Amino acid sequence: MELDDVNSETAIEPAMQSSSMMIDATPNVLEQSLAERKQARKERWRLLRRRPGFLIGAIIVIFWAFCAAFAEKIVPYNPFDDRDKRHMPPSSDHWFGTDQTGRDVFSRVLTGARDILLVAPIAAILAVIMGTLLGMIMGYFRGWTDNILSRFVEAFLALPVVLVGLYVLTLASQSDMLQTISFNSRNILVIYVVAVLFTPIVARTVRAAVQGERDLDYVVSARLRGESSMFIMTREIFPNVTGPIIVELTVRIGYAIFTVATLSFLGVGIQPPSPDWGLAISDERAVLAAGIWWPVTFNALAIITLVVAVNLIADSIQAVYQK
Amino acid sequence: MTKYIVKRVLLSLVTLWLLVTIVFLMSWALPSDPARAILGPFADEKLVEDFRETFGLNDGFLEQYFRLLKGLVTFDFGLSYGTKKPVWDVLAPTLWRTAKLATLAMIITTPISIFAGLVAAKFRDRRLDRGIVLTGLATSSIPEFVTGTLLAVVFGVKLGWFKAVAIIPEGTPPLEQLNYLFLPAMALAIVYFGYIARMMRAGTIQAMDSDYTRTAAMKGLSSSQVMRKHVLRNALAPTITVMSVQIGYLVSGIVGVEVVFNYPGFSQALLIAVKQKDLPVLQVAVIISALVYMVATLTADLIIAWLNPRIRLEMGN
Repeated sequence: MELDDVNSETAIEPAMQSSSMMIDATPNVLEQSLAERKQARKERWRLLRRRPGFLIGAIIVIFWAFCAAFAEKIVPYNPFDDRDKRHMPPSSDHWFGTDQTGRDVFSRVLTGARDILLVAPIAAILAVIMGTLLGMIMGYFRGWTDNILSRFVEAFLALPVVLVGLYVLTLASQSDMLQTISFNSRNILVIYVVAVLFTPIVARTVRAAVQGERDLDYVVSARLRGESSMFIMTREIFPNVTGPIIVELTVRIGYAIFTVATLSFLGVGIQPPSPDWGLAISDERAVLAAGIWWPVTFNALAIITLVVAVNLIADSIQAVYQK
Repeated sequence: MTKYIVKRVLLSLVTLWLLVTIVFLMSWALPSDPARAILGPFADEKLVEDFRETFGLNDGFLEQYFRLLKGLVTFDFGLSYGTKKPVWDVLAPTLWRTAKLATLAMIITTPISIFAGLVAAKFRDRRLDRGIVLTGLATSSIPEFVTGTLLAVVFGVKLGWFKAVAIIPEGTPPLEQLNYLFLPAMALAIVYFGYIARMMRAGTIQAMDSDYTRTAAMKGLSSSQVMRKHVLRNALAPTITVMSVQIGYLVSGIVGVEVVFNYPGFSQALLIAVKQKDLPVLQVAVIISALVYMVATLTADLIIAWLNPRIRLEMGN
């Protein structure tokens, strides 16, 4: 209900700005609409804070972000230092035990948040930016533009992300072109691959949202006023589809963490000696059968807490926006 | 209905063609020299040239493109760089094992998830519902390889109830094979539980709140009749869609699980291909799994159209 009111109010705002005949009431209407929008934002934030899922998720994500930022300052050992004591079970010296080269698992788990918390969110943000552009064009122009682009989106949607990741990352690792443009950082490559593969999914969501808006009165009146398509898309429709875009962003971050962790586990994502969690599980799972459970289990718990927390946040944001 | 089916199949073929083209273009967008990459920087120029000749790398863009398109019909995708055997012969036997695991996972997860979704909808907003929704959210957001690893630790290593390594010895009777397949199938089932149960819950709630359900109840049908004839039938449509999409993702998700349990399926061939930089195998694997996804979603759309006379008639026109 509230959201609808906001929508119809904001429609007036640009219309008034571009009108040559300013009437006295204009500033009031403008102020009122801005105030109502702020009110809606405040209301959503209030609803969000009252959801236990959101609070728990936020606390866990903040914890991991803190670890990612300040790992060196808080870990008891250097996460990259090999020691003689290999595969020591958890003790008071090494809370989570030591791994196959005697590195402290606790220090590595805390530092392991760094790469994934950089790679996954950046990939998701890039995907949302590109997907929003694509989705707006598809939803706004319809017709042939939409038809052709939709076929491409559909084709991309059928591509399994992890398998294409395996293919492209293998391809890229031996490509001369990428080596010459100083592409030695694997993480950047992973960001690009995940971002491109997620773009069509975002585009589909944004397209649907834009289609719901484009025939509403405020868009029609902007068109009659002779505004350019560019103006209508960016200044009229975009502010009214930010809700679905924000929801999509949080959901995509969750999936990006999922995907990057899986790619790292399969050996084509984040590379050693990074203390990445997926990588650690892949390195240490062979010794599971010998009863050495601690390196794998603590890294697995780290992934679980992070993905579940991000999904709790995404779920809460979705619920609040759909109210 | 026939017209609808023909239209959908034709559209799918267009999508398939585009998808194969995209995958093909990826290898041209990232130009590489597989011969050098595989044989090493110090290999004899003659050897490198032979390699290129054997695998048709000297052929032009269009020639290689049409060879790939032709392969879709003839299943002749050329030779694998690593094994020098036809790509299809490398992948086919592993596909069968992967299909076995995927089917078992679906058989486990479908009835449980649908039942859980129904229960959640019936006890909407009560503690049981919250529990089911939260469990679903958590389990479906955890990567398959993590779930699989933890299952292997707890039920395979610590408790020893099932095998933690899914390499089935030759000649094991089918029922005993379950002992090996149970944990990897559970890892997949747990992840898909969340998606299917949530969709079933949403579909059921929507159907229960609808006018036709109220009418059915008011005209005196028993609640089990209302459930069966009116609610279930309508709640299943979105669930079937989600399940078909999940079958598509299953192909991707199964890779991690197979690796965790050393199951000799699809993913084993893939990981070897990654190590050997065996691009033809990877390329065909991507196309095959996309094909599985497309067939699954197409089948689901047709089932839904068939279930719902409204869609059936509408689409015919």
